Amino acid sequence: MTNKIIRRSPVTFGPKPSTVENRGHWVVALEYEGEGDGPHLIDLSHCPRWDFQDGNLDKFKPVGISIPKQPGICVLSNGTLINRMNGTQAAVWHLSGEATDIPPETGYTDVTDATVFLAIMGRNAFAITEKLSALDLNDPARTPPFLIQGPFSHVPCQIVVMAGDRELPVILLACSRGYAHDMVDAILHAGHEFGLQPAGENVFKKWLEPLK
Amino acid sequence: MSFTLTCPICGPRNAYEFGYGGEDKGPRPDEKDLSPGDWCDYVHMNRCIAGESKEWWIHRSGCGIWFTTSRDTTCNLEVRGKAEEKDANPPLEKE
Repeated sequence: MTNKIIRRSPVTFGPKPSTVENRGHWVVALEYEGEGDGPHLIDLSHCPRWDFQDGNLDKFKPVGISIPKQPGICVLSNGTLINRMNGTQAAVWHLSGEATDIPPETGYTDVTDATVFLAIMGRNAFAITEKLSALDLNDPARTPPFLIQGPFSHVPCQIVVMAGDRELPVILLACSRGYAHDMVDAILHAGHEFGLQPAGENVFKKWLEPLK
Repeated sequence: MSFTLTCPICGPRNAYEFGYGGEDKGPRPDEKDLSPGDWCDYVHMNRCIAGESKEWWIHRSGCGIWFTTSRDTTCNLEVRGKAEEKDANPPLEKE
C-alpha cells in the first residue's frame, strides 16, 4: 500500500475552477469562469512560505537574497518576497508558487500548511480592505512593497502591499489557516459591492511575471 | 473604552492590538541572599498607582514585540517619551 500525499488549500470559493493544475501535491486553481476585470480574490495558499528566526538575521541570505534591515520593509527578487517582521524574524514567501527545498539552517520553519495566503488585486482593492481593517494600507508615505502586521477582519495578519493605488493595487495577506473560511467569506462579502470575484493563479502570475 | 499605544516597530495602534505584560519592575533581582519574601514581592506585588506607570506591553496582533511604555492610569493616555527617561518604576515601599 502506498501513501499518496495530498495537500489541501484551506480556501474554497463558491464556483469551481475551470482550469486546475496538479503541482507538488497541491491542486492549484489556475482560472475560474467569468473572472471579469477585477477586483479579484486569489487563493495562493500553495505558494511555499517560510518563517525565519535568528538573533542575527543580517548574516543570512535566504535563497541568495539579503533580508531587509528595517522591520516593515520587503524585498522582491526572482519571485521570492522577503518581509522583515521584527528584530529577529522574517517571512520568506515564494510567490512564483514553485516548490523549493527549505534551507538546512534550524531557523527556518515551513509554514505553508499552517497559514492561508490570499491576494486581493484590482481596482477598488483598498476600498474593500478599508471595510475590514483600520490599518492604513494606502499610506502615501510608504513605498510598496511594504509589510503591515495587524488585525484584518479582527484576525492577526501579515499584509504586504505590493502595489499601491497609483497602479493596479495588489495586496497579499497571510494569517492562520483556521481563519481561512471566515476570512474569505468576509472579504467576498465586503467586496460584493465592488464586483470582487474569485480568480485563479494565472491572474496573479500575469501581474508578477514582469517583476521577476 | 480604548486608547492608543505606540509600538516601536509599527507605530501608534489601537490598544486592543496589545497585551498587557504588567508593571516594569526593573531587572530580576540577584538570587544571592534573596529572601523568599523579597522574591514574592518582586513577582506578585504591584504599585497600582494613580498616575504615570511604566509598563510592559506586547504587540500581540501585530509584530509580536515586547516593549515598555509609560501610561497615565488616571486618563489612559500614553505618556510618550517618558519611558526612555526612566529605567523602571521606583521600588515598592516597605511598611
